[in-house]
Amino acid sequence: MPVAKGWVKCRVGGFSLEVDWHIEEGQVLVLFGPSGAGKTTTLRAIAGLVRPEEGRVELGGRVVFDSAAGISVPVHGRQVGYLTQQYHLFPHLNVRENIAYGLSQRGQPEARAEVDRLVRMLRLDGLEDRRTWELSGGQQQRVALARALATSPQILLLDEPFASLDAELRRVLRRELRAMLVESPIPVMLVTHDREEALALGDSVQVIDDGRIVDQGEPLRVLGQPGRGRVARLAGVENLLAMTVESRNPQDGTMVCSGDGMKLEVPLDAAPTNQNDAPDQTRNILVGLRSSDIILAMEEPKGTSARNRLAGTVASVEPRPPGYEVTVDCGIPLKAQVTGAAMSELGIKPGQNLWAVFKASSCFLVQEDTPPARDTGAVS
Amino acid sequence: MMRTNLSRLRGFTGLPGGGLLGPAATVIYLLFIGLPVLALLIRAAQQESFFAGLVGGMALTALRLSLITSGISMIIILIVGTPFAYLLARNTSWILRIIDSLIELPIVLPPVVAGVAMLMAFGRQGVLGPFLETLGISLPFTTGAVVFAQIFVAAPFYIRSAKLGFQSVAQDYEDISQTLGISPWKTFWRLTLPLAAPSVLTGFALAWARALSEFGATIMFAGNLMGKTQTMPLAIMTAMESSLDTALALSVLLLAGSVTILIALGLATRPKWQNRL
Repeated sequence: MPVAKGWVKCRVGGFSLEVDWHIEEGQVLVLFGPSGAGKTTTLRAIAGLVRPEEGRVELGGRVVFDSAAGISVPVHGRQVGYLTQQYHLFPHLNVRENIAYGLSQRGQPEARAEVDRLVRMLRLDGLEDRRTWELSGGQQQRVALARALATSPQILLLDEPFASLDAELRRVLRRELRAMLVESPIPVMLVTHDREEALALGDSVQVIDDGRIVDQGEPLRVLGQPGRGRVARLAGVENLLAMTVESRNPQDGTMVCSGDGMKLEVPLDAAPTNQNDAPDQTRNILVGLRSSDIILAMEEPKGTSARNRLAGTVASVEPRPPGYEVTVDCGIPLKAQVTGAAMSELGIKPGQNLWAVFKASSCFLVQEDTPPARDTGAVS
Repeated sequence: MMRTNLSRLRGFTGLPGGGLLGPAATVIYLLFIGLPVLALLIRAAQQESFFAGLVGGMALTALRLSLITSGISMIIILIVGTPFAYLLARNTSWILRIIDSLIELPIVLPPVVAGVAMLMAFGRQGVLGPFLETLGISLPFTTGAVVFAQIFVAAPFYIRSAKLGFQSVAQDYEDISQTLGISPWKTFWRLTLPLAAPSVLTGFALAWARALSEFGATIMFAGNLMGKTQTMPLAIMTAMESSLDTALALSVLLLAGSVTILIALGLATRPKWQNRL
């Protein structure tokens, strides 16, 4: 049974938002996109804090908003758990009182038992009497989560839950949150602009840009090797190379393409070529390549299965936690991600000659959204 | 470059308070304020019939009237001013912003002018006078007029401060409270008001102090009738003409009240979470 589904159309000033969602029990849907794309507005529309022009919001089988039927349940009747970026713990209450805040309607002993259960579940034991500002960022997040879960929400709306934490803590907490979400059957909608976060937490992902869903599906497919230019840029694909197809090898499932004196072997494209199957010289493509998929070597690697071996010169080295980003000029600048240990071992510095190595399958074809004229031309 | 700019800036801002000028100004100011206050206490202590002046009929009557009228004024200010202040804090429409900027008019308006204005509105010859007369109501020179005058001059102090208090509570807190199943009305009582309490209390105390010390508008609009409209400030003024004892006793009483309010403000409005909103 689908636990949370719906669609909304919102208009805020000159900005228009049009999204739909469908989250199964215990699943995490990630809304991925740049700031200002409409992610937070979507959460707020589901919570009832923003009133959509049109739409239908169904939570746990109950319709809480339906513009056609004139239904709009007020925020406090919707049973949603909403976590903001700053958590907004109530400063005049201690940890226990914060968690119990939404339980006021129920009987005292029952509320006390529920708070105790959440304190144990979220490992907040011993912190019950603390003031909220005495807590670490991670503890604050768990209190906010406990406070939301106490009211048995039908959906959990998480707005960049790790935004105010440092990178190291983020990684730890992400794992914790994932473990906790697995235990609860509540559908979760999580907003982020962090690709790693989306991959780590999402069962599925929707990429939102400028108020529209531009791609959706399994996180690794959508964000790992994004097939569309807009999504590739949003997902931060480091290398996007404009190239021309030279020849195709259907039996290997690869093709050779070139650009700026650089030749690459990449996966075969799906689009058919000319009638006579001749190499289509006119076909321009965009090749995506993750910086973490490139291996740097001091001399030409021999006896490797990697199909792409390019000689180049180090143009620049920039720190990019947890490692470094090395830009190698191989005709086209290629960005490669290298760990600190590898950096010092190879002694990589600007001006150095080395080799960039990567598999054909690490390359993926990216389709530009805007001028599709050339693609459709090839099909017809 | 940055360094020289900074040091020049520091030298500049340091100048008015630097050297001997700062301490000297401080001493002069404290003497100027402190001396009259001390003198009042000393003269009152020298007065042999100080307590007689305090329990004299005029003083007690004025004290009782002041407490009753200012109490009623504050209740009305709370009931009307709180929702108004909340609306001003949350709504940003242009019309409310204009109203917002006019709120403080009674603070800058000379109280005597306020009194005249109220006479023009509610007096027998005032705009609403004939209408009130048909209802059998005559407002000027009654205890009700005292309350009117106090509300007129004191309310802005409360509304202004309460508005700032509500503004300090980010709306996200209220949003979260509602998602936790708490209605907007209950959210106000359980969350917004407690969090805004320091400013609300400050405003309450300032408004009450202003209502208690109201003089100009009261004497214009309500007159100076003992037991009916003669509040403490008016009684002091009247007593100065006949009995210095009573005037001094009442003055010391008002002074004590003011100091108590100041200390209470300092104690009550510094909760630990004040800067954590």
